[in-house]
Amino acid sequence: MTDVQDKVVTTDKMSVAATLFRFQSVFGLIAVFVAAIIFSPRKNGAILFVSADNLANVVRAVSEIGIIAVGMTFVILIGGIDLSVGAVLGLAAVGSAVLMVENDWGFLPSVVLVLAIGLVFGALQGVATAMIGIQSFIVTLAGLQIARGLARIWSGGQGVAIAYGDGPKEAPTSFALLGERTFGGLVPIPVIIFAVVAIAAVVFLRVSAFSRHLYAVGGNEKAARLSGVPVVRVKIAVFAICGLLASLAGIVHAVQLNQGSPNDGIGYELDAIAAVVIGGTSLAGGRGSVAGTVAGALLLGVLNNILALNNIDSNIQLLIKGLVIVAAAALQRLRPTS
Amino acid sequence: MRSVRISLAAAAVAALVLAGCGTTNERASGGASPGASKSCKGTDGKYTIGMSQANVAEPYRQRMDDDIKAAAKDVPQFDVKFADAAQDNAKQVADVENYITQQIDLLIISPNEAKPLTSVVKKAYDKGIPVIVLDRKVEGDAYTGFIGGDNVQIGREAGKYIAEKLLPQGGNVVELKGLAGATPQAERHEGFVEGIKGNPKVKVIAAASGDWLREKGQSQMDALLKANPKIDVVYSHNDPMAEGAYLAAKAVGREKEMKFTGIDALPIPSGGIKAVEQGRLSATFTYPTNGKEAIAAAKKILVDCGTIEKTQTLPTRLIDASNAAKIYAEENPTG
Repeated sequence: MTDVQDKVVTTDKMSVAATLFRFQSVFGLIAVFVAAIIFSPRKNGAILFVSADNLANVVRAVSEIGIIAVGMTFVILIGGIDLSVGAVLGLAAVGSAVLMVENDWGFLPSVVLVLAIGLVFGALQGVATAMIGIQSFIVTLAGLQIARGLARIWSGGQGVAIAYGDGPKEAPTSFALLGERTFGGLVPIPVIIFAVVAIAAVVFLRVSAFSRHLYAVGGNEKAARLSGVPVVRVKIAVFAICGLLASLAGIVHAVQLNQGSPNDGIGYELDAIAAVVIGGTSLAGGRGSVAGTVAGALLLGVLNNILALNNIDSNIQLLIKGLVIVAAAALQRLRPTS
Repeated sequence: MRSVRISLAAAAVAALVLAGCGTTNERASGGASPGASKSCKGTDGKYTIGMSQANVAEPYRQRMDDDIKAAAKDVPQFDVKFADAAQDNAKQVADVENYITQQIDLLIISPNEAKPLTSVVKKAYDKGIPVIVLDRKVEGDAYTGFIGGDNVQIGREAGKYIAEKLLPQGGNVVELKGLAGATPQAERHEGFVEGIKGNPKVKVIAAASGDWLREKGQSQMDALLKANPKIDVVYSHNDPMAEGAYLAAKAVGREKEMKFTGIDALPIPSGGIKAVEQGRLSATFTYPTNGKEAIAAAKKILVDCGTIEKTQTLPTRLIDASNAAKIYAEENPTG
């Protein structure tokens, strides 16, 4: 359990505490998971929560937020924030539907263009914040409005329904596969996409020099600049990645709901930020992990599911979720600083 | 520590995959369409009903839930659960999936939108769960019954009422429309145009979109009042916009020159029936919440082992000064 990045850890006791805090979301996830089993409704002796179908539903339901939250982790690691991801998801969902249904584009060109739109949109936000020096909160708040407006214009203000087939005004059936389930009809493809994104992000942060730059910019931007880190390039890249992942989530969203609507993804940025915060990533930047975010997203998903299975009143659900976020943030404050 | 991070991520992913490849398999029952024999256990049965609501932030939908709750009180066998999708299609899909997991005996759903909810409703139906769809339809026919109002009919009734009762000698009408692109908006307009045909002296001199909102109705009416010196009737696609229009007219001292009609007639303190009773609106037309009817249909399927109509369209009712107080009391028996 030694780590070059964990800076100075003086005693064994400290390191145990540090580990506990570092992986608070994983322990939190385990705790919520166990609680869910205990509080799960049962039917004919079977614990409904742990049924294969239900667990598949849980991870399917978090896949979109999870994909977005991975990108959000990158942004928050450099001390930024991206409020535009929900709107970019909506724009991408609309784009997928319009290109494939109304314009009769093929699967690959549509997906490539939609991903490119997300990437460029994110990169432009990165340019605005890194080169012009506007705070990312403001840039992406404006980005949210712009992406939402573009989605409304592109869709004509209405949801574009997706029908599958080979005929005109039909999306290719290959696109429908993205919303299907595999491994005996149990594992939803969106979950596999989320898993691939998460693994790729973890590996990327592990092997690339980019990772050191990222943590350096988030830790102390000035020091990073002085020690030769290409701060501007890092920032633009991070926002581009976040935009790319948001548009990927939009494609997944469209295929799961058979529709691209300009109102898709409203408020998703807040769920993604919540997953990152529960995952133990510091909003001040420089500290956190993708693994934590994945655990945070799953924790929220399990919590949503068990509250719903017990038919807890929707208003009470909001209160409970709010308290969990506060608790996670409070734990962060208690974390021993090294 | 980085390697730990990786192994944890790998473990998390493994957990995801394992979760998918787990133990039980409930998919065997697919394909069966819900016959009365399967779900009906008669009067001795106990039934859990799941109600999936699109968005309780709309008073109309909150009232729908309340009506279901009230009607279910009279059926001792029923235990109704409620979920709120907060206007998010994806959330509503998850809500229905969770009901399927809970193995509810019947699903009532008021879909946020048709297309995105169609496949999950079909999934429930194919598992043998009877499905009652309220207000907004889903596509295809994988549901047991649909209960809703007829917006064209409501528009027509409103048009006739204006042409025959309010403006028999003809006059100028302005139309405050609902959200552009919404089906009820188009239908309430279409019916209205048919309804006023009988009296060619009734002229629609202006129209504006108030997006169903009181404040938007008010600001649109501000502009309409400035542009049109003579307005006799304001036909609004719902009650809140009519109330907003009334406020706008009142602000410039013209509220007595014209009459206001709305649609929806929710029997709640802030609803259209009270506005008619208190004299701000001349009339409003009920848009049924279908809550009572949904529980009646559920009772027929589960308790009486009967069948229900595939489509049940509820008629609208004219509310004016003569019956507003009486109907409000009828709809709120306890208070």
